Amino acid sequence: MSKKILIVDDDQEIRSYLSELLGDNGYATVTANDGAEAVEIAKAEQPDLITLDLEMPNEWGPRFYRKISQDDALKRTPVVVISGLNAIQYAIPKAIASLTKPFEPAQLLKIVKDAIG
Amino acid sequence: MFKKILLATSGAPSTFGAARVAFDMAKRYGAEVVVFHVMGVPTKAYSQVVNDVRTGEEIEVDDEYRAWVEEELKSTFEKQIESVQYAKIVTTTGVPSREILRAARSEDADLIVMGASSGDSSAYRKGYPGSTLQRVAKAARCPVMTVHRETASYWGGFGNIVFATDFSKQADSAFRFALNSARELDCDLTLFHALDISGKVLDQNAIEDRLIAARARIRAAYVPLMGDFKNFDIEVWEGVPYVEIVKIARERSADLIVLAHHSLELDPEKARIGSTMEQVILRAGCPVVSVSKPDKV
Repeated sequence: MSKKILIVDDDQEIRSYLSELLGDNGYATVTANDGAEAVEIAKAEQPDLITLDLEMPNEWGPRFYRKISQDDALKRTPVVVISGLNAIQYAIPKAIASLTKPFEPAQLLKIVKDAIG
Repeated sequence: MFKKILLATSGAPSTFGAARVAFDMAKRYGAEVVVFHVMGVPTKAYSQVVNDVRTGEEIEVDDEYRAWVEEELKSTFEKQIESVQYAKIVTTTGVPSREILRAARSEDADLIVMGASSGDSSAYRKGYPGSTLQRVAKAARCPVMTVHRETASYWGGFGNIVFATDFSKQADSAFRFALNSARELDCDLTLFHALDISGKVLDQNAIEDRLIAARARIRAAYVPLMGDFKNFDIEVWEGVPYVEIVKIARERSADLIVLAHHSLELDPEKARIGSTMEQVILRAGCPVVSVSKPDKV
């Protein structure tokens, strides 16, 4: 069964791009357009990995991360931060990687493959 | 509780983090932002000629110059000003710390938000970077919020507040501010004490006895004041206080650290911020509020 990735981003273009990129490489994807929605979806879908934008309407990425780190079933799910903000590696220090938009697709795929196969 | 926020800014990039937080808070909590800028320090009393705060150049402040500065500020913060309901720009001349305090008083501000230092643009002034903040934090009647590292500042609203106490009298005011904020903004609150063991070699039982005693002291001092507020934890860690405060804030993904301002020096012109506060401000990944006086908490 293919591994499932939750894509959290408020930008529809980025969501479609990531879905396509990850889908073409054999991963199943689900998407959420902000942190509040993402908490519900993460609980329901139990993804193997999460790509997370930081700046979103309603609930921002770091607050979403805080919520899932309090959830026993989700707290060990690897998170890859993908954001346009500066110095993003400090926002979620426990993320397995932080990519600045625009990013290299090959780099993201390598990070994902190394994390979940 | 944050009806009016005074954003003290030189307009330089070192204050952008503070601006981001001030405008975000205003948008979320319906507050008014007063963008306050001190153009320069008069070369002589009541002189029209000032040393520009950013460049250090002598400039004659006339209507044209004033309008130009306001225009610059307006374009710097254009998008943010548009995003809030109430905002105004106020400019003046004088010694920045005194003028910020004066403005906070006359505007009846609930909170002053500022950067920690002007970075390398303060070269012309004697003293050390951050002298404005030090003076404002010491003397302000309202809480002073500092945003130093823009990178992780206030990621979209407050959810978790760390209140660090040293059990001083000032800490009581800081606690009231932390509790009121947590209650009003529906946040989790961590009551924290860092047991200072720096430079000491203590028996582990002695350390753990003191940790237990400090927890009991927090419980006795603050819990009876919390009423029906239940979203709190009590933590005591041993170590170097500023390191432990920054660590617990990171561990809890705190959006805000609240500390009492401290200094034995009563003269605000001479007082420096307590070194723990100073280090926390410089290192924390979230805004830090210092509370000095009980007036506006």
